[in-house]
Amino acid sequence: MTIASFILLYGLSYGLVLCLIAVGLVVTMGLMRVVNLAHGAFAAIGGYLATGLMVQAAIPLPLAIVLAVVAVGLFSLVIERLVFVHLYTAPELDQMLLTIGLNFLAIGGLTLFFGPNVYPTKLPPYLAGSVDFGFRAFEIYRLAVIGVGLVVMATLIIVFEWTTVGARLRASVDNRSMAQAAGINVPRLFSLTFVVGSGLAALGGAIGAPMLPLEPSYPFKYLVLVLIIVALSGFGRIKDALGVSILIGITETAGRYFWPEASGFVIYVLLVAVIIWRRDGLFVRRASS
Amino acid sequence: MGRSQPRIAALLAFGVVAAFGASLAPARSQADAPIKIGIVGPLTGPFATTGVAFRQGAEAYAALHGDKAGSRRIEVIYRDSAGNPTTAKGLTEELLVKDKVQMLGGYMLTPEAVAAVPVVNETKTPLFLFNAATPVLLKMSPYFLRMGQNITIPADLGATWSRQQGKSRGYVAVADYLPGHAVETAFIAKFEAEGGKIVGKDRIPLNTVDFAPFAERIANANADVLEIFITPGAPAVGFIKALAARGLTQKILIIGQGEAEDNDLHLFDDSVLNFHSIIYIAGSLDIPENNALKDKLRQKFGADTTTSAFTVGAFDGLHVMYRMAENLAGKRFDGDAAMKSVTGYSWKSPRGPVTIHPSRELVQNFYVRRVEKVGGKMQNTVIHTFPSVEPPPPAK
Repeated sequence: MTIASFILLYGLSYGLVLCLIAVGLVVTMGLMRVVNLAHGAFAAIGGYLATGLMVQAAIPLPLAIVLAVVAVGLFSLVIERLVFVHLYTAPELDQMLLTIGLNFLAIGGLTLFFGPNVYPTKLPPYLAGSVDFGFRAFEIYRLAVIGVGLVVMATLIIVFEWTTVGARLRASVDNRSMAQAAGINVPRLFSLTFVVGSGLAALGGAIGAPMLPLEPSYPFKYLVLVLIIVALSGFGRIKDALGVSILIGITETAGRYFWPEASGFVIYVLLVAVIIWRRDGLFVRRASS
Repeated sequence: MGRSQPRIAALLAFGVVAAFGASLAPARSQADAPIKIGIVGPLTGPFATTGVAFRQGAEAYAALHGDKAGSRRIEVIYRDSAGNPTTAKGLTEELLVKDKVQMLGGYMLTPEAVAAVPVVNETKTPLFLFNAATPVLLKMSPYFLRMGQNITIPADLGATWSRQQGKSRGYVAVADYLPGHAVETAFIAKFEAEGGKIVGKDRIPLNTVDFAPFAERIANANADVLEIFITPGAPAVGFIKALAARGLTQKILIIGQGEAEDNDLHLFDDSVLNFHSIIYIAGSLDIPENNALKDKLRQKFGADTTTSAFTVGAFDGLHVMYRMAENLAGKRFDGDAAMKSVTGYSWKSPRGPVTIHPSRELVQNFYVRRVEKVGGKMQNTVIHTFPSVEPPPPAK
């Protein structure tokens, strides 16, 4: 009982942070088929900014996170207009090379401004400590992460599934040229999604910082996990990304608890199995054609 | 296998050319030329604190003792491995072939040192392990000299000391690579020999990011002492935070080695308080040699800098390198003779009295330390000393 609840809660909080970081890439890759390997850099920058604002400038954590998310969103718009516009028609290999280059730039920049070491994070007093649920105590921080993660993801899914913007997005993911012919401004939609996606990554990086320590190599360190989520979710499927991320969080947590020695591989076993079984995404119904 | 053959061939060719060149060069200029030292360590990347500490230790030594060993000038060249064994090997080759160094030092991680083995065995170059602590390393090359510790010693002392504190339920959690395995074996053997019971052991994969599940396992096993070995930097911070979040740092005795050196304490929050470690130095050690080193470090690198296991590994490494250079004064530098010339050599180090054991390990003090807040600042305070600990018999 306590073990099951531990795996559930910690797996959920871990999975939700991964989800926030990855969901932007799931959508932008679905929309423009741009392989943005530098996506993790936005999460890293968000984490560094939020932590820096809180620790150095003594800004309360929630405000610091909002500021960091907005800043990263604006920054990503600049990057999108300056760099990514040239990539939409470029071959995939070029996209990968350039975005890997961006990752190295980000790592160099983070080292320059924040030093090569782990960037120390500190929880505000109201998030430190645990609450006792009777059968066991849980860290307040983890519960807060779950709360924020679920609310943000629910909002995102509602927007995606039930608003006109969402409908345009889904239409563009399914068939870009048809959507464009129907009068949807796909490039502008892409800019918007890119900004929102980067902002969400920044949010993930910021609230996940106590769990996934901030270090300059962050953009590469978590890239594999992010790409696994993208691969298992399928293009542009937000709901699936949420499901997949939670599954990954719980699988990793359970793996580390029950088979610590093998826990480095559990996630890859899952990946290989799913890719063989359902190539287009874990929850994507196989086309009958 | 096939791929490494050209490299071996190249090395052999290099060895032949080097030997030929050496025989042609006039003897006098050889004896007067400066001695070059190459230091390979992670100056950037996730282990940068260690590489930077190496550099600080070496520079502090040169600042205190000058750049001359006897009559010969010493030149130190630093190279950044970023903790990557392949890079470390490439840099080692480059230092030997291009820069023509006579001695090597650094090598934080065991895999970096392993990568350098075939190179230094070929060129017969003394290589000072400033940190890498796996027992079997010294068996892999007769040119390796340990300036840090054999990792089984603190693990063994950890078992002894925790039994002395009345702890009876032991748990071992180590990073899943060579030195981690050595810690696990040594701690379990000693702890059980002293009558304790091992209630769990984990090998933590190196790619672990969320350490909470390990903290949960340890808490559920009801251990009263936990021996850990985890790489410094992000993994150490993540693991100790997870242990603290589960209340373990306050509840049970946690013993590590170099996970939370004084210079790294700012990376942690208060969760690291009451973390214990056993290693051969403490920043707070109040002896003249350490105070002199600390003053120099503060003067050169800022008021917050102090001695750590990594600084003193480099500092003493340079001390012995200078000694080798002096021992071979007026002669051509020869790796075998240099190695032989320092066996049994004793000196007063910032870490206390030290002797080079015939096994190329150090006979040195080990200190049990606890992270405490002194005057609002965290530090590792020495709470027990094991004097002049002999190294175990060489690894098989």
